[in-house]
Amino acid sequence: MKRRARSSRTPVVGGAVLALVLSLSGCGEDSDAAGDDTIHVLVYGDAANKVEKEIVATFNKTSEVKAVLDTIPGADYQAKLQTIINSKQAPDVFFNWGGGSIKPFVDADLLLPLDSFIAKDPDLKAKFLPSVFNSAVVDGTSYGIPMRGTQPVLLFNNGKVLEKAGVAPPKTWGDLLAAVKALKADGVTPIALGGGDRWPTLMWFEYLYDRIAGPELFQKALDGDREAWASPDSRKALSMIKELVDAGAFGTNYDSVKFTDQGSPTLLATGRAGFELMGSWAYSTHQDSHPEFAKSDLGYSAFPSVAGGKGEQANVVGNTNNFYSVVKKTKHPQAVAEFLKLMYSDRFVKAQLAIGNLPTTTNTEGFLDTAASPGFARFQYDMVKAAPAFQLSWDQAYPQSAAVTMYQSLQQFFNGSMDEDAFIKAMQALPTS
Amino acid sequence: MTTTPSPSADGDTVRRAGSSGIGAGRPGFLWAAPAAVFFGLFAIVPLIMVAVLSFASWDGLSDPEFAGLDNWKTLLDDPVMIKSLWLSVLLTVLGVAVQTPLSILLGVWAAGHQRNRAVLSAIYFVPMLLSVAAVSVLWRAVLDPNLGVPAQATWLFGDGNLFGTQATAIGVLVFVSTWQFTPLHTLIYQGAARAVPQVLYQAAQIDGAGTVRQFFHITLPQLRNAIITSMILMVVGGLTTFDTVLILTQGGPGSDTTISAYYMYQKAFKSFDYGAASTIALLLVLVSTVISLIVVRLSGYDRMRSTMEGL
Repeated sequence: MKRRARSSRTPVVGGAVLALVLSLSGCGEDSDAAGDDTIHVLVYGDAANKVEKEIVATFNKTSEVKAVLDTIPGADYQAKLQTIINSKQAPDVFFNWGGGSIKPFVDADLLLPLDSFIAKDPDLKAKFLPSVFNSAVVDGTSYGIPMRGTQPVLLFNNGKVLEKAGVAPPKTWGDLLAAVKALKADGVTPIALGGGDRWPTLMWFEYLYDRIAGPELFQKALDGDREAWASPDSRKALSMIKELVDAGAFGTNYDSVKFTDQGSPTLLATGRAGFELMGSWAYSTHQDSHPEFAKSDLGYSAFPSVAGGKGEQANVVGNTNNFYSVVKKTKHPQAVAEFLKLMYSDRFVKAQLAIGNLPTTTNTEGFLDTAASPGFARFQYDMVKAAPAFQLSWDQAYPQSAAVTMYQSLQQFFNGSMDEDAFIKAMQALPTS
Repeated sequence: MTTTPSPSADGDTVRRAGSSGIGAGRPGFLWAAPAAVFFGLFAIVPLIMVAVLSFASWDGLSDPEFAGLDNWKTLLDDPVMIKSLWLSVLLTVLGVAVQTPLSILLGVWAAGHQRNRAVLSAIYFVPMLLSVAAVSVLWRAVLDPNLGVPAQATWLFGDGNLFGTQATAIGVLVFVSTWQFTPLHTLIYQGAARAVPQVLYQAAQIDGAGTVRQFFHITLPQLRNAIITSMILMVVGGLTTFDTVLILTQGGPGSDTTISAYYMYQKAFKSFDYGAASTIALLLVLVSTVISLIVVRLSGYDRMRSTMEGL
């Protein structure tokens, strides 16, 4: 009798819990339905949100439809975006890296082609540097408007260390090899490398492939031509990477060093390394953690040229910029178009420059002197503007499903646990569509 | 009881059942109902969904598509997958082998009455209070080849490339989880060692047994159930280790420390291949279940033998 009394009660408890769960989820939907005359702008959550907040506030001053800024902390951004983009919680406008990062969304028919916006307001295209604007073009259609700043990869150096070893920032590959020798003889690690993060290693591949084969080879590989990886140019690039590693350019423990925990920047700043190949953000990293070094000894130059290579010396690799893309389901395309126009406004450019970002609009040049570090801003701007080709980082150009294998193979080839043929085979197996 | 007015007959029976339940000492199913409901909603239902997803291909964007055995075939042919299962087992076995003797010794010591023992134990338990993520970040910094301890102690660490070779990377992972989790297991052994009846030791002393003999012939056998409990925790924890790998090695160098749980994360949240990730998850569930069952079987835990026999 006791037992039955208990079990007869169980479904009631269960029912109550279920009702609670249902009513909770019901709440969620209510609050969603209320936001009818708003557009949601989703961005990567970090220090640059300061500018995005300001731009949203500017927009809201004049617009009927109000913009709401949502942020997702950086490390989780990509995964969470992927989860919500095809749900009711999808934003109207969202931050991305162009290229491969939006390709799956384009394929799933979730993004709004921006051609009609551009037809109505040609400035949406004309006011941006073409090499940058083009990296958010997928299958001939524009899907993104540049926002934030460009991030070319530069060869940073510690001036004091170079001076002591009697070397100058290298202009050619030969210069670099000679500098490696001299720095090694002087008892410092020639080049700091955060191999534990893997993506810093990738930058060496990107530049060498570009210098030797030109940007076309990688584009071919990206378009699905698997033979590109086995071409003589590809093999030459690989052998030069090997040559550099074997010369002891990176020391022997680079796989245990990271950029993200300040490992490799500290090596450079404290004079234990001569060079570091890194995205332009390294400048503000040093300004934050080694302000003295950033002011007096931090030098920078373009990646050296390679004699006989097909790629031009002025070519650049890195993150061309970040972009705003528009979700097809947005109820307020007009408001979104108006919002995107702010991305080439003077106000936007000034605000980005003030926090150390370098926007890629054609009017940026006029404001360079107001930048956090005008000399550095001008150097970068001239470099990006003059670049015949700006290669988007491989890990962002390729679809995300390629990232894991790509990183594994890069690290293994670099540290010698995978040979040339195995590396080529691994790259050929990467998904390209 | 019949004289008590009650709003409903149902409520009345429950109250009576509850009060007599405490008296009887063996609670009925109702006590487990809230937990059972949540377990069903948040463990069984997702598990079924994962099982279904393992037969589908899904990138999280469009609707999942039925893919039959494709995920299973691909993964069982994938060298990284096979390697990751071995690595998971290897890390678990190493973890058990290193932590068990250490925590038994420490636990038995901490159960005693030596001077300063309480203070030392309190200090010793500190790692348990820190989150795994914090511990991993801490050790990553301490073991930095140029800025951490290896730069000072080159006679021991060489060039300090601890995260750059498979053997040393695995060594670091085992060391860090040992550092973090030994206190927990020590606590289990401390409690169990204190529960060993003192009469056993008194009898042994009269028979002339020394400390070492007492340890091997009384303490260790009496700790049997604690050893099994702690080992099952280690096995389950070892097979599902994730955070230390994520922060310390990111599965590298290459795929040399890519254990299954981390490979699953990579498939799901880096490659957005939720079908493959679900397959790995299910494989892990199967492997963990089998290993736990083996541990329980071999140890006689299922027969619930008491350590108090003969008393």
